[in-house]
Amino acid sequence: MFALDQGEKNRFMFVRPPPRQPRHTRLWLAPYFAIGIFAVAMLVVTALLQWREQDTALSALEGDMHWAERTIEARLHAHQDFLTELGREQEFRQLDYESFQVRASRYVRDNPEIEAIIWVSTSGKVEWVAPHEATATFVGEQLTGERLAALEEAFRILRPVFSPDYSNAALGRSNDLILPIQQGSSDIGAFIALQSLESLLRVTLPATFTTRYSLTVVDANDRVVLSNSSISPTERKISGTISLDLPQNRLGLNIVAYRGGGAWLAFVPAALILVLTLIATITLIQLRRHALRRAETEEQLRAAYAFRQAMSQSLITGMRAIDLEGRITFVNAAFCRMTGFDESELVGIKPPYPYWPPEEFEKLQYNIDTALAGRAPSGGFEMRIMRKSGERFDVRLYFSPLIDADGVQIGWIASMNDITEPKRVRVELERAHERFATVIDGLDSAVHVADADSNEILFANRSFRNIFGHDTVGRNSAVVTAACRPSPEALQVAPGELKPEDLPCELFDGEIQHVLSGHWYHVHERAIRWVDGRTVRVQIAADITERKHFDDINLQQQKRLEQTSRLITMGEMASSLAHELNQPLSAIANYCAGCIKRMQSGNYQLDDLLAAMQKAGEQAERAGKIIRRMRDMVKKSDPNRQPVHLAELIDETRAFADIEAQRTSTQLVVDIPENLPKIVVDRIMIEQVLLNLIKNGIEAMHGTPIDRRRLSIEARRIDERLVEVSVTDQGHGMVDGDIEKIFAPFYTTKAEGMGIGLAICRSIIEFHQGRLWVETRREGGTTFRFTVPIEEDADE
Amino acid sequence: MSEQTIYIVDDDEAMRDSLTWLLEGEGYRVSCFDAAETFLGTWHAGMHGCLVLDVRMPEMSGLELHEKLDTLGSHLPIIFVTGHGDVPMAVAALQRGACDFIEKPFHNEDLLSRIERALELENQLAARQQRDGAISRRLEQLTQREREVMQLVVTGLLNKQIADELGISMKTVEAHRARVMEKMGVRTLAELVKAVMTVT
Repeated sequence: MFALDQGEKNRFMFVRPPPRQPRHTRLWLAPYFAIGIFAVAMLVVTALLQWREQDTALSALEGDMHWAERTIEARLHAHQDFLTELGREQEFRQLDYESFQVRASRYVRDNPEIEAIIWVSTSGKVEWVAPHEATATFVGEQLTGERLAALEEAFRILRPVFSPDYSNAALGRSNDLILPIQQGSSDIGAFIALQSLESLLRVTLPATFTTRYSLTVVDANDRVVLSNSSISPTERKISGTISLDLPQNRLGLNIVAYRGGGAWLAFVPAALILVLTLIATITLIQLRRHALRRAETEEQLRAAYAFRQAMSQSLITGMRAIDLEGRITFVNAAFCRMTGFDESELVGIKPPYPYWPPEEFEKLQYNIDTALAGRAPSGGFEMRIMRKSGERFDVRLYFSPLIDADGVQIGWIASMNDITEPKRVRVELERAHERFATVIDGLDSAVHVADADSNEILFANRSFRNIFGHDTVGRNSAVVTAACRPSPEALQVAPGELKPEDLPCELFDGEIQHVLSGHWYHVHERAIRWVDGRTVRVQIAADITERKHFDDINLQQQKRLEQTSRLITMGEMASSLAHELNQPLSAIANYCAGCIKRMQSGNYQLDDLLAAMQKAGEQAERAGKIIRRMRDMVKKSDPNRQPVHLAELIDETRAFADIEAQRTSTQLVVDIPENLPKIVVDRIMIEQVLLNLIKNGIEAMHGTPIDRRRLSIEARRIDERLVEVSVTDQGHGMVDGDIEKIFAPFYTTKAEGMGIGLAICRSIIEFHQGRLWVETRREGGTTFRFTVPIEEDADE
Repeated sequence: MSEQTIYIVDDDEAMRDSLTWLLEGEGYRVSCFDAAETFLGTWHAGMHGCLVLDVRMPEMSGLELHEKLDTLGSHLPIIFVTGHGDVPMAVAALQRGACDFIEKPFHNEDLLSRIERALELENQLAARQQRDGAISRRLEQLTQREREVMQLVVTGLLNKQIADELGISMKTVEAHRARVMEKMGVRTLAELVKAVMTVT
C-alpha cells in the first residue's frame, strides 16, 4: 500500500500542471458593479418609500393641524360668546352677582381651561370672581402690567382682547380674554376669562392627538410659551405651525409629529443595505485576492515546471528516473534522442529495458541490481547500450537517489552521457599528435621552440636533436645553439620587447654558418604565441650547405659563362667581319688569279683582262668600306658624362655588390660626407670601376675571419676640382712587386682572373681626367683610391 | 659521257663573277646560281661535274642544299666554300661524306686542285654507275629458277648439292648454270661472283 502511494506520488512528480487560464482582465469588476448597482437601487427604493411615508405623515399632520386649529378657534369663540352674553346682561343691568356667579361657575366647570371669569372695574380692580373658590385671583386684586395694558387696550378699541400670556402661579402659562363693557358710551368694566393655555390644549385636543404630536405654543415673538414635550421641530421631522389668531394677540402652535419607533428607524434599511454591500465587497476583494494568489502560485508552478522541462529537454545528458523497483518513471528528450525510443515506449517499463543489447544483458542486469541496492559506484557505470536501430554505443551512467518533498527516497535518477564521441576524439587527438610528431620529426630542417624570456627550449624535433644533442629540451636555447645562432643585433626585433599584440612577428631570416661543423643553415626565426600563451621563438634551420656549395659552383659557372659569351660575341663579331671581308678579298684574289692564268697562257683578250681588273678594284673598295663602317661603329661608344651624386652611384653599385657581400658575410661600410658636390662622370663606367674594386676587395678577404671581413667605401673632397673615393679591405694586402704590376694588362694575382680588370679601371679613371692608385695599409689590407672631377659650377 | 660542268652556288655576285672568270680561264664549263633554291630548281640526275657551294647563304644554307641533294640521289661531289669560323659546320658536312671544303680566302691553285679531284671522283662514280647498271640489266633477264641456281652457285655449292637442295636433277642444274653464265656475260665462276658482289 505504501509502495503504491509512493508510486502515485512519484508519478505525480512528473505530471504536467494545469494549463494557463485565459485572463479576463475586466471580468473581475462585474460583481463590484452588480453590488454597487444593487446598493444604489435599494437605497433609492428605500428613499422613495421614506419619502412617501413622510408625505403621508405630512398630509395627516396637516389635516390634524387644521382640525386642531378649528377646534381651538371654535372654543375660543365660544368663550368669547359667553363673555359677550354676560356683557350684554351687565350692560342692561340684568346681571347680578348671584346669577353671574352661577352662570360663570357653571361655565368654568364645563370648560376646564377657564380658570375663572372675573369682572373688573375700568381701573382694573377685580370686583367679581366666579367661581368664588378660584385660586387664580381674588376680589380686590388690582390687575397690573401687561394685563392692565391689555385691559386698557380693550377699553380703547372696545373689542374683545386677549392679553399676552403671562405666568400664573396656579395655572402656569395663562392669558386673559378681556371683553370691555360699555353702558351708553361710558366704560363700566370688563369681563375677563382667565384661561390656562395648557388646559386649553389639553381640553380642546384629544389625547390621541397629543400622543402623536408634540405641541408647542409660541407667542408672537416665537418665544416658547408652552410645550408638552422636549422635542423641537427640525427639518428632518414632520412638523407644522398653526397660527391662532386671537384679537390683540397671536399665538402660534408648533406641531411636531412623534415618530413611531424613533427617527432612526428610517435609516435602518439604508444602513443595512450599506452594511451588506460593504460585506459583499469585502468578501469579493478577499476572494479576488485569493484568486490572484492562486493564479500567481499557478504561474510560478508553471514557470518552475517549464524551467524544469526546458532544463531536462535541453540537457545533452540523458536523464532517466526509476522508482525503487526499477520501473522507469521519467526520461528526458536527450535520453530519448540517444536511445531512439519514444518517451511512451520507455515510461512504465521495468528491466530489462528495450535498449539493452542482448549480448550485454547479464552485465546490465547486474548493474541495475547494484544501483537499486544503492551500491552504484560514484564514477558511474560505463556500459554499451543499443539504439532502437540496433546501433551500439558507449555511455556512462551515474546514479543518484531521487528524494521527494518529504525527504523520502522514491527512486533513482540516472544521468547518461554518450562517451562514444569523447572516446573517438581522444583517440583522434592521440593520432593527430602522433601525426604531428611524425611530420615534424620527419622534417630535414631542425625545428625548435624556446621561451622568448628564459630561452628554455620547449620543443625540439629530431633533426634539431641530431644537430644540437638529444637532451636539449628544457635547457637554455642560447647555450645549446650558440654555435649557430643569429646574433642579437641581427634580429629584426628584440624578443624581450615584443608585446602580445605584435605576434606573430618575424625575427630573423638569413644564412648562418655553424661555427663547429662548418655547415651552412638557412635560419628562419619568428616569435609566436605558444600554446600556453607565452611568447616563444620558433626557429627553423634548414641545412643548405650542399645548396650553397652548388650555388657557389653555379655562380662560378655563371661567371665563366659570362666571359665565354663575351668571347663568343667577340668571336662572332670577328667572324662576321672576316666573312664580310672575305667576300671582296676572295673575289679580288680570283680576278687576279684569272688574269694571271690568262696572261701566262697568252690566250687572252685585253678588254676581258681590263674588265676583271676593274672588278677587282671595285672589290678592294668594298673591303675598304667595310673597314670604315666598323670603325664608325666603334666610335659611337663614347663615354656619356653627366653630373651625378656619388651616393646614388654607390647605392646602385651596392645593389650588385651586396649579393657577393652577403654570400661571403662581408660587411660593407659606406661613409660619404653629405654635402659632397655632384661628380661629372659616365655613371656606368664609374659603377663598373667601383664594382670591380669592391669585388677585388671582397675576394682579397677570402682568407680573413668572418668577423673581420669589412670593406669600407669612403669619399672626400680633396680640392675644388676633385673628389677622392677610396675602397679599403682587410685582406691579405700586396707585396711591393705586385703594386708595380697590378695595373699592367694581363697581370693577375688571382687564380681565375683575366688580369684586365684593373687596367681597364685605370683607363676609365684616366679617361675622366682622374687617377687610380693603390696603397698597402700597415695594419693589413689594401686601399684603392681614385679621383673623379666634380661639377664645375658647383663651387660653394 | 657528257662534258663535266662546274656549278657555282653563291649569293655574292662578285664571288660568282670572279670564280667564273678564274675557272673559265682554266677552261672549265661554269654554270652559276645565286641561291640554293635556284639550283634545286634546275637539278636533274643527268648533271655531271661538281658543285662549288657557299656555306653561308641568306635562305637555304649550303648544308641544307647538300641534304636535299642527298635525298634526291645526286652523286655530284660538293666543294664547300666556308668563311672563318664555319669550320665545325664544314667538318659536319665532311662527315656526311662525298665532299671537300675550302676556307676563304683561298689560294686559287688550292681550289683548282680540289675541283680537279672532285671531277675525277665524279668521273669514276659515273663509270661505276654505268657498269652496275649493265649487270643489273643482265640479272633482270634471269628466270626465277636460274636466279635460285645462281645464288647457290655463288655460295660455292657443287651441282649435285644444288640439285638436292632444289629437288631437281643434276642435268637441269647444269643447263640452268650454263644459261646464267651466258646471260650474265661471264666466262668463269670468279667473274660471276664479282658481278653479283658489285650489285648486292
